[in-house]
Amino acid sequence: MDEAADDLKQDPLNDCESLQIHVEVHQKPNSTVKKEDIKGSILRLLNRHNIVFGDYKWTEFDDTFLTNNVQSVAVVDTELKLKERQPIYLSDCNLFIHIFHLNEEGPSTENLEEENENIIAANHWVLPAAEFHGLWESLVYEHEVKSDLLDYVTTTLLFSDRNVNSNLISWNRVVLLHGPPGTGKTSLCKALAQKLTIRLSHSGKLVTKMFQKIHEFIDDKDTLVFVLIDEVESLTAARNSFRAGTEPSDAIRVVNAVLTQIDQIKRFPNVVILTTSNITEKIDMAFVDRADIKQYIGPPSTAAIFKIYLSCLEELMKCQIIYPRQQLLTLRELEVIGYVENDVSKLSLVLKEIARKSEGLSGRVLRKLPFLAHALYVQTPNVAMAAFLQALSLVVDKQFEERAKLSDCV
Amino acid sequence: MTVALAPPALTPTAGGAVSVSVAFPGLVTREGCFHFTCEFLKHVLYQRQQLPLPYEQLACFSQRQLLATPRQDEDVIRKVYASDPDNNKKCQQVLGDLERLFQHLEIMFSLTLVPRVLILLGGTAVSPKELYEINLQGISLGGTKESLQTAACVRKLFHSLFLADVFSDLRAVPTLGVIVMVQGHRNCGIDWFRPKLNYKVPARGRKLTVNLSCSDHGGATLSSNAEVNFALNDYIWFQAPVTVKGFRYFS
Repeated sequence: MDEAADDLKQDPLNDCESLQIHVEVHQKPNSTVKKEDIKGSILRLLNRHNIVFGDYKWTEFDDTFLTNNVQSVAVVDTELKLKERQPIYLSDCNLFIHIFHLNEEGPSTENLEEENENIIAANHWVLPAAEFHGLWESLVYEHEVKSDLLDYVTTTLLFSDRNVNSNLISWNRVVLLHGPPGTGKTSLCKALAQKLTIRLSHSGKLVTKMFQKIHEFIDDKDTLVFVLIDEVESLTAARNSFRAGTEPSDAIRVVNAVLTQIDQIKRFPNVVILTTSNITEKIDMAFVDRADIKQYIGPPSTAAIFKIYLSCLEELMKCQIIYPRQQLLTLRELEVIGYVENDVSKLSLVLKEIARKSEGLSGRVLRKLPFLAHALYVQTPNVAMAAFLQALSLVVDKQFEERAKLSDCV
Repeated sequence: MTVALAPPALTPTAGGAVSVSVAFPGLVTREGCFHFTCEFLKHVLYQRQQLPLPYEQLACFSQRQLLATPRQDEDVIRKVYASDPDNNKKCQQVLGDLERLFQHLEIMFSLTLVPRVLILLGGTAVSPKELYEINLQGISLGGTKESLQTAACVRKLFHSLFLADVFSDLRAVPTLGVIVMVQGHRNCGIDWFRPKLNYKVPARGRKLTVNLSCSDHGGATLSSNAEVNFALNDYIWFQAPVTVKGFRYFS
């Protein structure tokens, strides 16, 4: 990694000298060449294209070696470090090049020990998995959420790596994401596991559900193991309610078992426990205390909604459902031109208005609205952008009407 | 040619891992290595209850069924097992998958030296329930003329397995997915198998290793072969893109 930085460092006087830039290189599934060989070519590529503005992705190369072996090269997560969009001189940055192969296999299931048992005890993904590719990018939050989580887990693993005495400094390897439904907590956990596997170029695994046999998965010290516990409140409902007499004693035993398991697992240096919850108040305090990072994931802001819509429309243009292609401006670009309406900004301003009135909808709902818009109001194999935005606007109104009806019924 | 039968060496090691060593008294061919792998895979599938009949019987039986010329002695089996269209479909699927696997294994063995092969039962490639390894690093390759007959070597392999009695005390398992991993040269040009550049042989699960080697011969072994040693890190793991799903007549 260091020699890579040295290679490209030519003008150390620039102020983004110490800026860390991550470059993710997706190696083609059938490519067998060595990482070092790819790295050389990537460095030459980055030397030729020295300046990027924010994230950038190459999928076509003039170098036949890259064409044959590499699916894409992406400068990623620059917005996590830089608040303002500005030119980045790659030759002055500290470059981290991560070369990875995706695992195409889906999750494997782990059944309970008993004969002919069809109860699935765990799902198990080998990371980085094709299933989670692009998930991280699709999640839109305020800057800090993603970078905090990345930094937190990186520090966790650093401490383990350096054998920091856990009696003197205690850290639990437990992350709790909480917030309303549909805000992408589970997706964020999966994306985070994928991201870290790529970043730390470890091999990684993501295991859901199972607790009992988890030790077997942890045994391999070189593999990073992410344990995802969805809706953790179901396992660790507050013991207080037991004292109030409303919780059966079985539930107490479950809470105690889970807590004990977590205490055992956290001794392993290569484990990170990711948990999510919709109802934070119900979680047992003993568990909440064990979580080092408690991150609230709220419904998306207007700016985030705008970004989500933009990515949806981009995808539909790519698939030529929205045709012909129209250049849409980002919020920042709109801001720069002072929200003046002209031929270039017109559609983007319409989208901004739709984003504004969509406020209050969750990410899960937002991502399906373009589909509903097409199904309910478009129905043709391709449609112009203006017409599609109209449909999208209608479907947002309908969404709120339905909500109102539902709450009336209740 | 006769093959001398040396007593098989059965070495139990830590963590439930067992190994069987088989030394062939001479050189073997590349094609021979492919056959050892194939036959061992068929054997494992039947012994670990992933196939209801030994592969050859199942293949033969199913083919006759396709040709629809029932013979008297098969009537009973037909009635009991194969009348169920679901069974028949599963059987065809397994046989088809295996046939393709064998075809491509043969190509693989012709393109590159293969130091090791893994047969993984259950779980994923990185954490299988059971792991069977064929280690060919002690093998010395020769041309057809100077090598031992493959059939005799296969007999010796099975004789050793039989004497070592490695399958009898294993617990019954449900039907599982079977993954095959093959080590080969990075530039061998095989396109059916998927390269797994970061793959490490898992430590989890039960393990049986079959070490094949050649004794009293003039040639060099695979592991002392200059080509392999020169660039051992040029030998990478490839995963077969099919997961063979075991099946049973009664489930």
